[in-house]
Amino acid sequence: MGKGGMSHGSAGEAKDGEEENMAAWLLGINTLKIQPFKLPPLGPHDVKIRMKAVGICGSDVHYLKTMRCADFIVKEPMVIGHECAGIIEEVGSEVKKLVPGDRVALEPGISCWRCNLCKEGRYNLCPEMKFFATPPVHGSLANQVVHPADLCFKLPDSVSLEEGAMCEPLSVGVHACRRANIGPETNVLVMGAGPIGLVTMLAARAFGAPRIVIVDVDDHRLSVAKELGADDIVKVSTNIQDVAEEVSQIHKAMEAGIDVTFDCAGFNKTMSTALSATRAGGKVCLVGMGHSEMTVPLTPAAAREVDVVGIFRYKNTWPLCLEFISSGKIDVKPLITHRFGFSQKEVEEAFETSAGGGNAIKVMFNL
Amino acid sequence: MSGGIVEVKEHKDGEENMAAWLVGIKTLKIEPYHLPPLGPHDVKVQIKALGICGSDVHHFKNMRCANFIVKKPMVIGHECAGIIEEVGSEVKTLAVGDRVALEPGISCRRCNLCKDGRYNLCPEMKFFGSPPTNGSLANKVVHPEYLCFKLPDNVSLEEGAMCEPLSVGVHACRRANISPETNVLIVGAGPIGLIVLLAARAFGAPRIVIVDVDDCRLSIAKNLGADETIQVSTNIQDVGEEVVILQSAMGSGIDVSFDCVGLNKTMSTALNATRSGGKVCLIGLAQSETTVPLTPAAVREVDVIGIFRYRNTWPLCIELLKTGKIDVKPLITHRFGFSQKGVEDAFETSASGRSAIKVMFNL
Repeated sequence: MGKGGMSHGSAGEAKDGEEENMAAWLLGINTLKIQPFKLPPLGPHDVKIRMKAVGICGSDVHYLKTMRCADFIVKEPMVIGHECAGIIEEVGSEVKKLVPGDRVALEPGISCWRCNLCKEGRYNLCPEMKFFATPPVHGSLANQVVHPADLCFKLPDSVSLEEGAMCEPLSVGVHACRRANIGPETNVLVMGAGPIGLVTMLAARAFGAPRIVIVDVDDHRLSVAKELGADDIVKVSTNIQDVAEEVSQIHKAMEAGIDVTFDCAGFNKTMSTALSATRAGGKVCLVGMGHSEMTVPLTPAAAREVDVVGIFRYKNTWPLCLEFISSGKIDVKPLITHRFGFSQKEVEEAFETSAGGGNAIKVMFNL
Repeated sequence: MSGGIVEVKEHKDGEENMAAWLVGIKTLKIEPYHLPPLGPHDVKVQIKALGICGSDVHHFKNMRCANFIVKKPMVIGHECAGIIEEVGSEVKTLAVGDRVALEPGISCRRCNLCKDGRYNLCPEMKFFGSPPTNGSLANKVVHPEYLCFKLPDNVSLEEGAMCEPLSVGVHACRRANISPETNVLIVGAGPIGLIVLLAARAFGAPRIVIVDVDDCRLSIAKNLGADETIQVSTNIQDVGEEVVILQSAMGSGIDVSFDCVGLNKTMSTALNATRSGGKVCLIGLAQSETTVPLTPAAVREVDVIGIFRYRNTWPLCIELLKTGKIDVKPLITHRFGFSQKGVEDAFETSASGRSAIKVMFNL
């Protein structure tokens, strides 16, 4: 194997015997097509990875349905997908810590490493961030991708490639638990038992939260949460008039003050509930991005010094995620509910399944 | 003076203790105020200076303030300083004749919040002028020793009374971590905004931009040391444009924004103008339910920090006044005596806003 020289020109002109690199391209609303994906040349600090496991995120589904997500607009065809793990195939000339054959989980976002935010360690907020499947940057639902070696994390033997791909959503929960200072003394309320609510719950437990109550409108998701270890579950409505009563039920379920609430949905109602339910001096962590502008009782919360902590993706979370998974402190496997192969038909079905919600929590591609 | 327990209905010199009672909407009456007995750890303070706060005016106009409802006559006022007249049997650090500033709120000191040091959030807080606790616009009050802070010789009684509003600014600057590296935006140049301006500078903030709708208040802010002042509108449609102007006035990222008003527009401005990873500190409590672009701020990790009163701020305030790091005297714009007419005129002046920043009683 060479010292990781250039892969010449376009992968469309395959080297002798090599297959063309294919990827799932988002071409238009509800239109995904598997087509060739020419990889960039391998830089000295890059590695080439053969993708083995890719999960679908709510944001991927949002791009498929609307060709946009908040201020990010898909203006030209883009490869989708970003929650991934695979096997190193080739390493750049300066890569020292990884070798071909290594199984790695990928952190999607390449920040600039030059701006003040990056230099301060808050690289998730870098304005020049290049993130898999956030336009115009191509994603990783492909046979192969090229990525910086420092964003590839070697999987312990006991951690599967699917679990490696799950590090990405789990990272959101871990980052939120850090920002909210979750520990053995923080009773936690989680609003929303979707994929993000569930990874946040798992992370909170791993950080030592003694008591966790989770709420949702959906019975099935609540039963999954209970199986995953929630101390109590409360079914809530979509009706904002019900906030006061639900806060009362939630307090009964918690049996103590709520120190931190994670809003993993991000709607007027969930934020209003979170702000009312959290104890004086506590924190509300806004993880979900349901609504852009919200009408919420912010002043009564501020007058009780309930702080609102924002979350955007994650930073420096992969090592900890892998530690949690390999030690068994967190088991993400139950979250993977559906699996598909990498073919045109299956890509379409996979996204349909993920978009359908219901029983589907994490839909995973096996390549 | 051993400070025995005496039921004070009449003073030694024959005069009754009088106070300004809130008896109904916009109705203040100076009437007798029977003080409780002096406990072993209490002091009796002759009040000499007392400032009017926006919350006092709000109680005056509405007989309520948020969830606090005035159900029976209540003595008004809480920003005060005076001279010790009598000390309880166990009082060790204060003596008759000492000039002191008073921290208004008596917390329970038993609950978890108190034991955690966050006593400002104590659910059993008894706070001067927050119903049903009587305030301190009176000849004399009885108060715990540990909430009375001795004033240095070079700090006047009026400055002592100013420690209370100044404490709000100091507490906010602490919670927001103001330092020589934080560029600060202040929304609202009223008494609280101006206090925050002074406190932020004392905490080292290198650049402070302050905004308001009122150019009179902006010129006061400029005189008090704001690096730049900008007049803004009350029209929420103007937020986008104003944010651009504010950011270019700051020159670099806005690290912390203090919303000293608390309306939809001011919160929206603060949330949009603050840089990624920065903080918005919500001090002003104008509106209960706010419609704000919370998510766009949260996805930039702009955190919202709430402020309720203060804790452990008097020593620092007194130090800042003593060393001259902060000069609160320019904020005292009007003075009144303690008479029925004086009280009525004072509240009317304070309620009118504009050039009235701090209205002070001299007793």
